[in-house]
Amino acid sequence: MIMDIQSNQSDNGVATLMIEGEIDMNTCAQVQTHLMDLFNNNSKVIIVDLSKVSYIDSFGIATLVEGLQWSHNNNTKFRLTSLTPAVKDVFNIANLQTVFEIFDSPEDALKGL
Amino acid sequence: MTESVKLTIPSDPKYLSLARKIVYHLLINHDVSKEIIPRLVLCVDEACSNIIKYGYNGCRDQPIEMTFSLAEDFFEVKIRDYGKQCDSRDIKPRPIHEVKPGGLGTYFINEIMDEVNYCTNREKGTLLTMCKNLKGELASARREIG
Repeated sequence: MIMDIQSNQSDNGVATLMIEGEIDMNTCAQVQTHLMDLFNNNSKVIIVDLSKVSYIDSFGIATLVEGLQWSHNNNTKFRLTSLTPAVKDVFNIANLQTVFEIFDSPEDALKGL
Repeated sequence: MTESVKLTIPSDPKYLSLARKIVYHLLINHDVSKEIIPRLVLCVDEACSNIIKYGYNGCRDQPIEMTFSLAEDFFEVKIRDYGKQCDSRDIKPRPIHEVKPGGLGTYFINEIMDEVNYCTNREKGTLLTMCKNLKGELASARREIG
């Protein structure tokens, strides 16, 4: 398994995307498709759980940046949670820590909504 | 003594994971610290992804030839492709303050590697050479400092 994605959407408009594995040029299209579905379903909040992502490259980052841009256009909250050290390091190099709303856990990401 | 390993993969994104694993194991076996290994792996991945996307225009059956050379305090990667050549002056990382998809791979390579050179002085394709000084990056050296 290179990557697995599970998404669920609750009645209150909160959708969670749980990604497991490696996000790279080979797998980023799957993430993009799932994100697009969640935006099309009019989710009010999209939480992307990265706790099981062992690797991300610039294609994965670009997909998340795209999600962020869609969220601005759709007035949706787009939040990332539980970044692994490997993912956090790539975010740091790209200087993106302050661009996204990043939380320690999905529970924290739901606070203050 | 310099040790070299050669690896050729088809220009299919599904082989990127394999290339990453090989680079990871090479560096781990060379006692490179675990802090820097993921960054070096990222550079190889980004270079190959750029070749697939721009050099081979998404074509999946073209060769990407890699040579990894490791000396005591030195890691060099040569990546040869036979795709579309581009002027190295056109290979620009995106300005980091611009939050938009694309251009990040080149930025990562330039940030992480000490030397990066694109050579198009050949009939076809490009030879990319990336070097990283490992002085202070070996796990044993870090233990001594710590």
